[in-house]
Amino acid sequence: MQIVIDRQSRVPLYRQIVDRMRELIRSGALPEGFRLPPERRLAEALGINRSTVLTAYRELKGEGLVDAHVGRGTSVRATAAPVPAVGGPPGLPWRQLFCERALRVQEPVVRDLLELTERRDVISLAVGLPAPELLPLGLLREIFVRLVDDVGPPLLLHCPTEGHTPLRETLSHRLATRGMTCSPAEVLVLSGSQQGLDLVVRALVDPGDVVVVEEPTYVGMLPVLRGAQARVVGVPADADGMRTDLLATVLEHQRPKLIYTLPTFQNPSGAELALRRRRELLELATRHRVPILEDDPYSELRYDGSPLPSLRALDDSGQVIYLSTLSKLLFPGLRLGFLAAPRSVVHQLALLKQGTDLHASSVGQLLLERFLSDGHYEPYLQSLRIAYSERRDAMDAALKEGAAVGVRWQRPRGGFYFWCRLPDDVERSRLLAAAADVGVAFLPGDACFFEPPEQAYVRLNFSYPSPEQIRDGVGRFLEAVRRSIRPAHRAVPEAVGMPPVV
Amino acid sequence: MSTRLAGRMASMRTSEIREILKLTQRPGMISFAGGLPAAELFPVEQMVRVTEEVLSRDGHRALQYSTTEGDPPLREAIAERMNRTLGTSVRADEILITSGSQQGLDLSGKLFLDEGDVVLCESPTYLGAINALRAYQPRFVEVPTDDGGMVIDELERCLAENDRIKVAYVVPEFQNPTGRTWSLERRRAFLEIMARRGIPILEDSPYGELRFEGDGMPSLKTLDTHNLVVFLGTFSKTFCPGLRVGWLAASPALRERYVMVKQGVDLHTSTLCQRQIAVYLELFNLDADIERIRDTYRGRRDAMLRAMDESFPPGIRYNRPQGGMFLWVELPDGIDAREILKSSLEDGVAFVPGAPFFPNGGHENTLRLNFSAMPEERIEDGVRRLARILTEAVDAVGVRAAEAPLTAIAGERLGR
Repeated sequence: MQIVIDRQSRVPLYRQIVDRMRELIRSGALPEGFRLPPERRLAEALGINRSTVLTAYRELKGEGLVDAHVGRGTSVRATAAPVPAVGGPPGLPWRQLFCERALRVQEPVVRDLLELTERRDVISLAVGLPAPELLPLGLLREIFVRLVDDVGPPLLLHCPTEGHTPLRETLSHRLATRGMTCSPAEVLVLSGSQQGLDLVVRALVDPGDVVVVEEPTYVGMLPVLRGAQARVVGVPADADGMRTDLLATVLEHQRPKLIYTLPTFQNPSGAELALRRRRELLELATRHRVPILEDDPYSELRYDGSPLPSLRALDDSGQVIYLSTLSKLLFPGLRLGFLAAPRSVVHQLALLKQGTDLHASSVGQLLLERFLSDGHYEPYLQSLRIAYSERRDAMDAALKEGAAVGVRWQRPRGGFYFWCRLPDDVERSRLLAAAADVGVAFLPGDACFFEPPEQAYVRLNFSYPSPEQIRDGVGRFLEAVRRSIRPAHRAVPEAVGMPPVV
Repeated sequence: MSTRLAGRMASMRTSEIREILKLTQRPGMISFAGGLPAAELFPVEQMVRVTEEVLSRDGHRALQYSTTEGDPPLREAIAERMNRTLGTSVRADEILITSGSQQGLDLSGKLFLDEGDVVLCESPTYLGAINALRAYQPRFVEVPTDDGGMVIDELERCLAENDRIKVAYVVPEFQNPTGRTWSLERRRAFLEIMARRGIPILEDSPYGELRFEGDGMPSLKTLDTHNLVVFLGTFSKTFCPGLRVGWLAASPALRERYVMVKQGVDLHTSTLCQRQIAVYLELFNLDADIERIRDTYRGRRDAMLRAMDESFPPGIRYNRPQGGMFLWVELPDGIDAREILKSSLEDGVAFVPGAPFFPNGGHENTLRLNFSAMPEERIEDGVRRLARILTEAVDAVGVRAAEAPLTAIAGERLGR
């Protein structure tokens, strides 16, 4: 295959690859089913960064020219076969029509993972889903039947953009019990908390504005920030959450529009921001007048230790936009989330939301409201805590085997995830393929950083698989790690500083 | 909090209609304002059975996360329905389920519009589209329309005068706000011109199935041989708006892009609502439901037109749409529909002034009347009240108009 790149050209390298490959595919030079060279190999052959090749392949996939499957590589798609020149109209040059913002949204690695997860022989430790067998189906059915009697047609009609009023009241009441006082007018019901991320960023961030995130950060926030053309500044985090000492330096030198943090049982790291740091974070943000977006989907899933106040609960100056969801606990498929913020913010976000989808589904809102106000929530939550803490312990125990291989982790006190640091001699590029071979899926840590970190990490989920699947899956994961350790003779000695002349 | 809003927020404003709709909540108000379907026509009882079925058949799936593209059986059903009713040849893998067709608009803005790009639209056009797209800071170029849809000569002129036209947004069937339907000729001419210029088309079709009489027209998507058209559909006008389920149909490569954008926006549309609709389509006959809705709306449109014919003063133009939910009224020049609204609200009648439907302003003498939401007696009552206010206003300008040359439209009623 002849791919030549021109480093002097003003056309980005990945575009050069895409253009050339498209030409080869269209002309039939690369026939249907032709396996493209692995990303790393092509990168090495061309002497360019692997991520450039990755971007090019994703682009080709986006254009429908190739199919990519984890473990099977990238191959020319059947329908991409050369179109006969006669008859068919040329179609639009879509790519030229997309706007800057859209082109920045890369295909998240998450989609490939979902694809892998759908394979029957694969144990998925990848996705952040609640255990389906624990969902309160029977209750939901009963509530629905009662709602039809009590409410009738409005169940299926429009409701205000800000949300069904009784649900806003119930949510504001619930927040108050956790030390977050806000009126129903300060609550906005969302179509899932992902929508909250999108709306807040759209409302506050202009292209080129700085947004501070902890690193690693929630994988779903990255496409939102890329799409907004934000300049992202990552602040490293440790076992106690975001390093507020480093944040202080960032705030001295940058003027961020927003600080995004997931302080409790963070996704992916499972870390909990220490109380002292919570206070420091608030104090810094207040002093520099930067709003904080506090994303809090997991704090009610605590398995040990006593609860820490949320940032919103500690905030007296209206600095915090508090975002949460019940998707992680209850009915993820209903797509419901909510946020609490000062009224002016709720108003502005509601205007945006109106243009986005008018309102969250009425049925879902009424179901949730009933579920909460009929007192089903607490007992259900309690049963989840018991079930999930068993799963967490099962994963912790299963990982013990991994210590010998050099995998490092910390047992989280709550949430959904273990964050594992892999041994230095693991070849990241081989890991996913090895995982596909042994039949396990997980989230590669690189997906949670803006720039790939030096250290390799993975995120393992323990809420979705059963305890047996956890034991089996962790075993497979460790096998994949073993298989992707670089053989000693291939290890590339790295020059660390100058050898002293003696 | 020092909320420094993003620059693009400056272009958002509290929608006028939002304020009017608040007023319509007052008890006893006769509302011609909303775009709401008639609630009593919705199959609430059937939905209980449907939900039972959804939960007992595959309840866990219905409550769990699902793929961004949407429920496969629902996409199959939508493709089949489109192909049957519109004569398209759409496949399930060209469908993306959206959270209402409103989301299809928002995603399109995200996908196509850089600041300063031009959106070509009808004049007037759907307000929800203006608001959704305005968030991406485009410029709107309005193409004048008449009873047959977009005026092609005017379209050519607009194309000649503007560059950076990124996308065209049109509602060719029983348009909101005018209730107008494009002629077949205009559809063909429009498509041909867009194909020549390489401009993608967003075809919004929420009302297409609400035709009361006359022959159905092929959609732009049906006529499109160049993969130009992104078709936006919804169940909100024919079924249950609160479920927030719509869809878009686009070529596979383009749909793939929409999927990526949607993933960052809300991951996916409520699984439960998608399953409810899919199972409803399987167990019940949506076509029969739509037939019932059509019968009811036809009666309401007739009641409204009859009352208008009998009681409106001369000098007011309005059309007689063959379907949809709205009709469009043009008052004599010099009468501001907002002033009329003030008086009519006092008299317990609400409607929406037409000016907000023109992205670039003007047209204060127009208004939109919805005929789908009120029973016939209330429609007649409301129209008569409105007629009294209009008669006074027309008399007041009539004095002045008598001194000016008679305009061509005086006394004429459009489409009769």
